Amino acid sequence: MPLKRKIAYIDLTTGDIEVKPIPIEVRKKFLGGRGLDAYLLYNHTKKGCDPIGPDNTLMVSGGILTATCASATARTHVMAKSPLTGLLGSANMGGFFAPEMAWAGFHHLVIKGKAKHPVYIYIHNGEIEIRDAEGIWGLPVTDAQWAIRDDLGDQEVKSMVCGPAGENLVAYANVMTGIKNSGGRSGMGCVMGSKNLKAVAARGTMDIKIAHPVEALEYNKRFIDQIISAKVNQTQGTLGTPFIWGATNSWGGIRCRNFQYNQCEYADDIEPERIDEICEETMGPYHMTGCFGCQVHCRAQYKITEGPYAGRYDEGPEYTSQGAFGGETDTPRANTVLVGNHLVDQYGMDNLETGSLIAWAMELYEKGILTKKDTDGLDLSFGNDEAVIEMIDRICYRKGFVGDTLAKGGIQASKVFGKDSFQYLIQVKGMSNLHSDERATPALALNIATGSRGSDHLRSRPAIDLYHLPQDVLRRIYSTPIPYDGPLSSEHTEYIGKPWQVFWQENCYMAVDCLGICKYHTTFLGATLPNFEDWPKVLYYNTGLDMTPEEIWMVARRCNMIERLFNLREGLTRNDLEKGDMLNHRYFDEPTRRGAPEVVGRVIEKDKFIKMIDEFYEHKGLDKDGNPKPETLKELDIENEPSHLV
Amino acid sequence: MTTEKDGISTAESLRKTRTYGKFRCHNPTCMERLEPKKGDKTIKCPTCGMEFRVAWVKDGFPRIRGPVWDVNRKIAQDVLEKKLKDKAKEEK
Repeated sequence: MPLKRKIAYIDLTTGDIEVKPIPIEVRKKFLGGRGLDAYLLYNHTKKGCDPIGPDNTLMVSGGILTATCASATARTHVMAKSPLTGLLGSANMGGFFAPEMAWAGFHHLVIKGKAKHPVYIYIHNGEIEIRDAEGIWGLPVTDAQWAIRDDLGDQEVKSMVCGPAGENLVAYANVMTGIKNSGGRSGMGCVMGSKNLKAVAARGTMDIKIAHPVEALEYNKRFIDQIISAKVNQTQGTLGTPFIWGATNSWGGIRCRNFQYNQCEYADDIEPERIDEICEETMGPYHMTGCFGCQVHCRAQYKITEGPYAGRYDEGPEYTSQGAFGGETDTPRANTVLVGNHLVDQYGMDNLETGSLIAWAMELYEKGILTKKDTDGLDLSFGNDEAVIEMIDRICYRKGFVGDTLAKGGIQASKVFGKDSFQYLIQVKGMSNLHSDERATPALALNIATGSRGSDHLRSRPAIDLYHLPQDVLRRIYSTPIPYDGPLSSEHTEYIGKPWQVFWQENCYMAVDCLGICKYHTTFLGATLPNFEDWPKVLYYNTGLDMTPEEIWMVARRCNMIERLFNLREGLTRNDLEKGDMLNHRYFDEPTRRGAPEVVGRVIEKDKFIKMIDEFYEHKGLDKDGNPKPETLKELDIENEPSHLV
Repeated sequence: MTTEKDGISTAESLRKTRTYGKFRCHNPTCMERLEPKKGDKTIKCPTCGMEFRVAWVKDGFPRIRGPVWDVNRKIAQDVLEKKLKDKAKEEK
């Protein structure tokens, strides 16, 4: 049974390994994946611990449905205190690692301590060993993954590795489960590097018994039909995620030149159809591929066509690389995006954070806060393709003053650069914003301001708010499974009703992260994709766990609140520009200058934004300061946390 | 176990609301449904005047590839200029 998958506690300092079952009452409260990781983090990490010290605890997990008959349950989740933000660190990635770990007998790992020398953890059919990684340390991501297979003599081994960026303690280093399957955004690769942990490798052939296999397969057909019939997924399967950036740039919802413009004009060379052409030219017509158990196949494959990296193979680029190395730096050239994407993949470094911080440094250079003396002669002007590529390398290997400083993350770097540099840093809770500009979309502004791991589009973004859905459709979506009779607006420039949408999406995304399902299979980019009403049968047929949509909703709320409790314990306060639910002043003060007529000239109206936060807090059961009310903790049955149930 | 009505979930029932062969204008307060003819490479919104390049995911499935830059850029510049003037007047 999937519920029989175990949890392992691994101490890298002592080499001790303890394996335990996951109690059913814990499963019912937190399911698995990100939710259970949040519980474990809150219980097993000391308040105020050094994120790159041995006391920080790293969680690795699959969802409760991972490796079952359910579609797209490929997601691997990692969590620890973030070296980038000092708050919650959390990353979720596709690929094949978590199912392999489940077949090897485990759904959750809790890794603490620090190894004396580079090691990797090998999980194999119920056994766990800590192996020497001296010969693998220093290798880029793909080479490291193949070296581990060679070391173990098994080409089917799947591994989750940190690249050179993690080893060099870049605060936003990723963990990677494939060539481009990245657990990015909050420096989980840095946590691995700090522990001298190069990789976690898994190989499993243990059976997973499905509770009701015939019904599970039958229901999954219906689930798949729902997923592949969605227009958004058909587009993803043809063009990959770059279509998102292309569409958003079209109306003026992306960031260009750090935050100076909200549209990258004449960006035809990085539009999805152009990138698709390059993929087809270099990899043939069947260049789209996918993760474990997924029918969407949103991952493109390509080779770089020109320059010093010509002939190198990679996957993607995701929309995030288009934004990071095309839009934000105003270098809308396909080759720059493809090379930039390749380098961050091989270095194991977050593309969003890297591109955002390079763009920030470019604006500081433009304003004279950074000079050629600081950059060792590099012309850090916007539009300089070579400078973008050079800076990726300098950050990973911490070369030069600017490269080494940017590797610390934006807030720490702003303290080194000084002057007004912090004013131009577009971040929330220390994490750079996605390459999107939310000044014309208040719901999205609220989402990034309140995201649990910092400014982020994957924690509560009501992306369907951009589709101008009719009121009755919005009502049907957002009133399930919990009745909601408050206001809703089809206008994405409006403020009304948006806090409920963000609250609903926050719970929706937490639920899929607990189940282990990809977000492209839920109400993220498409309104007709599965959510709370569709999940109970999948859960029951595969695991035997009988839960209602309302109960899954409550699990999601509970897990979100645990994340909030962790952040509050680590110093989150409502209006703190470094650790709070607050936006950079430019959102309120500087109007947008490009895009569609109704997008041009917009700012976020601060009084309305504050009201949205108030309302969002009310939905969550928080007081005006953002702390949970006692009755909320009781309602969610977490008033005694940390409870150390497991 | 589930709260399905008529045997299908809310998300499944919403499939009936899908439209094919059309997309919406990218101007947020316009959002006119535009229906390019097969093979069209551009389309102009009859309501707000914005113009877009059209790409085809497959037959019968068009999408906006991007703006016709020169046209939409001019519209944006004019609107911004007017908004800034209006704001300056308000402040006086």
